[in-house]
Amino acid sequence: MSAPLLEVRDLRTHFFTREGVVNAVDGVSLSVDRGRTLGVVGESGSGKSVTALSIIGLIPKPPARIVSGEVIFDGRDLTTLSERQLEDVRGERIAMIFQDPMTSLNPTLTIETQLVETIRRHTDVPRREARRRAIELLDEVGIPNPDARIKDYPHRLSGGMRQRVMIAIALSCEPDLLIADEPTTALDVTVQAQVLDLLDDLRREHDMAMIVITHDMGVIAEVADEVAVMYAGQIVEHASAAALFARPEHPYTEALLGALPQLEDHASRSGRLTAIPGRPPSLLDPPPGCRFAARCLYAGEPDGCAEHPPELRELRPGHLVRSEHPASERARPREGAPA
Amino acid sequence: MSSTPQEHGVGLAPLRHRKERRYPTPPDGVQTDAGAPIRASSLWRDAWYRYIRNRAAVIAGVAFLALVAYCLIWPIVSPYDPYAVDFSQASDGPSLAHPFGTDQFGRDLFTRTALGGRVSIGIGFAATFVILTIGVTYGAIAGFLGGFVDNGLMRVLDALYGLPYLPFAIIVLAIFGGGNFWTMVVALSIASWFTTARIVRGQIITLKENDYVRAAHAVGARWLRVLGRHLLPNTLGVLVIAVFLELPGVILGEAFLSFIGLGISPPDASWGSMAQDGYRAYRTAPHIIIVPSVAIAYLILCANFIADGLRDALDPRTRET
Amino acid sequence: MSALLEVRDLVKRFPVKRGLFFERTVDYVEAVGGVSFDIAAGETLGLVGESGSGKSTTGYCVLQLMRPTSGSVRFEGRELTELSGEELRRVRRNAQIVFQDPYASLDPRMTVGNIVAEPLVVHDVGTRRDRRARVRELLDVVGFDPVYVNRYPHEFSGGQRQRIGIARALALSPRLIVCDEPVSALDVSIQAQIINLLKDLQAEFGLAYLFIAHDLAVVRSVSDRIAVMHHGRIVETGLAKDVYERPKDPYTKALLASVPVPDPARMQERKADRRKLQSAVAM
Repeated sequence: MSAPLLEVRDLRTHFFTREGVVNAVDGVSLSVDRGRTLGVVGESGSGKSVTALSIIGLIPKPPARIVSGEVIFDGRDLTTLSERQLEDVRGERIAMIFQDPMTSLNPTLTIETQLVETIRRHTDVPRREARRRAIELLDEVGIPNPDARIKDYPHRLSGGMRQRVMIAIALSCEPDLLIADEPTTALDVTVQAQVLDLLDDLRREHDMAMIVITHDMGVIAEVADEVAVMYAGQIVEHASAAALFARPEHPYTEALLGALPQLEDHASRSGRLTAIPGRPPSLLDPPPGCRFAARCLYAGEPDGCAEHPPELRELRPGHLVRSEHPASERARPREGAPA
Repeated sequence: MSSTPQEHGVGLAPLRHRKERRYPTPPDGVQTDAGAPIRASSLWRDAWYRYIRNRAAVIAGVAFLALVAYCLIWPIVSPYDPYAVDFSQASDGPSLAHPFGTDQFGRDLFTRTALGGRVSIGIGFAATFVILTIGVTYGAIAGFLGGFVDNGLMRVLDALYGLPYLPFAIIVLAIFGGGNFWTMVVALSIASWFTTARIVRGQIITLKENDYVRAAHAVGARWLRVLGRHLLPNTLGVLVIAVFLELPGVILGEAFLSFIGLGISPPDASWGSMAQDGYRAYRTAPHIIIVPSVAIAYLILCANFIADGLRDALDPRTRET
Repeated sequence: MSALLEVRDLVKRFPVKRGLFFERTVDYVEAVGGVSFDIAAGETLGLVGESGSGKSTTGYCVLQLMRPTSGSVRFEGRELTELSGEELRRVRRNAQIVFQDPYASLDPRMTVGNIVAEPLVVHDVGTRRDRRARVRELLDVVGFDPVYVNRYPHEFSGGQRQRIGIARALALSPRLIVCDEPVSALDVSIQAQIINLLKDLQAEFGLAYLFIAHDLAVVRSVSDRIAVMHHGRIVETGLAKDVYERPKDPYTKALLASVPVPDPARMQERKADRRKLQSAVAM
């Protein structure tokens, strides 16, 4: 069993703003193995995007800073690298695709320019060779007539096509790890499905590792092997995808799954969705104890989880939870408690 | 319990009162979404903080206020009569008794500059106000109505754009006779409102696309209300910046017109007319022309930095979400 | 008994303009190409489609926020396309809208109270005191603490702002509310709160909804009947259950198959189905 390709240990990224310090990422640890997909799921403000950006050092450095933690990629700690060294890693070893392909593609350059530029930045090939490779890539991501379309500007392509181009650019240097931040959120449902299928196929063919960041549980179910659920800057549950959906443990995960309107639910029209009351806590001043306590149905006095932050513990092999009240422990009464 | 509108004859189907909340009662200590605001600052306060961070803008703001205070207050407390002629002190350079020196008639320049400032700044703001009024009206109508009206108005504006304002100013003054505060205001504003109109039109067109404007229509608001209550207040930021951008041009315009003798004429003071006074004596007593010129430059510099600071402070793109 | 809302052959075309000095219309883009449906009092019709399908345009045309190019919209028996001015304004009291973007649908320079009171002010309803009382009632009904009536929208989160928008829509006790993607911009846990709220309000006040959305699962959870739109036309209508479980149109089938379902066990099955269906519709 080889070491994981990427290992993040106790990462903390803080934003230093006029109003105070925002603990956007507060002690996140995760790892990805070669050839596997890790899904990071959370709502806005959970810190999932900042985590991804911190891994490759793309956080805006004046307000934000990685205050502690390590990001070990293939033996090297990325947090200790200089900007120059990080630039070498980015694109070549770790690639990233973003949510809105219109703003991440330069609208004034043709596809060809952008692809070729990326290829030649990281590999030393003559222009003609780079162009040939670019057309090959466009074909691989499913763009019809690649030799014609390569001359187009981004605005002539549909959203799905642009995202495919982004993927092509990301793949151009055969990265070991692909980080996809909400890759399908801006796309239509039918296109979304295609793009996800594409990502999955490519990952298998190129034996890449992938981190998919999303708020959509459906996307997680589609592509992730393992899932980390984030809430208020921390990981609250980490398990294989199958285990997470079959037996969610953390109250937040349960509530999140319960709040999803179901496509195939027969009673849904009359039934109510399980709404989670309240709002995520402010990260300027995180609550002292469990961050989900204010909205949790099970937070209670006896164990003081509202005062003492629970640790991330391994409930079952491969299934970690940060809670005093995971589902499986709720099922049986605690020893000593009245029946 | 508040009384239902029905009792006041409002004629609306009353909302039935409920004793308990609709949602499953949350466990103790759980905050419902109907909770407190997440951010307590106001739009203006954010803008203020951003403005303060710009050192040049802050200095310029203070300097500007100091200038205005000086112009307003000094003539009242000054021991010198700005109109009194005293040839024994004529054309003296700056001294302790006369910080700015005296002019050819022995009048204290420190006092006359303040007095002149009232006129110059007064004309400046008045003309700017007129420019804004015309520009906002024109631009708002064009932007709001769109279509043919907008097209027509803009083509007319394009044609007008090419006209330099100076000849127009001179013509107005020639017709109505110069030297009067209000004719100056008219002369300076008559051909200077084009840029403002264009800016306002652009703003209105952008704002029109916002959902809250559609919401106002959906609710049944008449166009006047939409314009006055929703569109124009949201152009306030742009207008405030426009004030400080137009001001220097107008001040300079007044100075120039007075300098060439068409504007404020002696013995009344405006900085331009003072410059005209000093022009003839510039070889022997340069301070007479330097003083008003520096005053004008000072004001223009301040206005520019303030406008710059305001633009950064009010720019919605840099607003934190 | 005729339905609350009857839409027949609604068409909306947008002109494509060219020209240097004076723009000429050279072509048309047909956003809505002949759409017909009914909504009965108290029922929810879900209008579902992807971006560019014309669903939002349909919603705006129903309320005459955009004037349809042709077609008929009968609301409470009156032909809306023939109304204008005062008559249309009066009808507006009974048909309202909730917008998608909670950040753009509230005037940033108005207080929460003024925003919700605006419909009352515009239609000159009641005295100032009446209106204040009514605003408090409305905010309470949507789960927004009336104590914050003098705050500004930017101080609140997306979910809270959406509640303000809903309160505004309810102000004049309408019979129909067009919900244009009301939860698309919200987080999942807040979505559920707002969906529950909309359902409760419907039950309480007998509202009819034209619920426009692209999220099939969300639409399913609120709708009695569904209409699926594709390229400006309705390709399938029916009871929600029927459309979701026994879709007839190939586009509907492909659409349903593409929705990611939070159940990894079923994923492989759905993927195979999906590939077949998508090639059938040739996306």
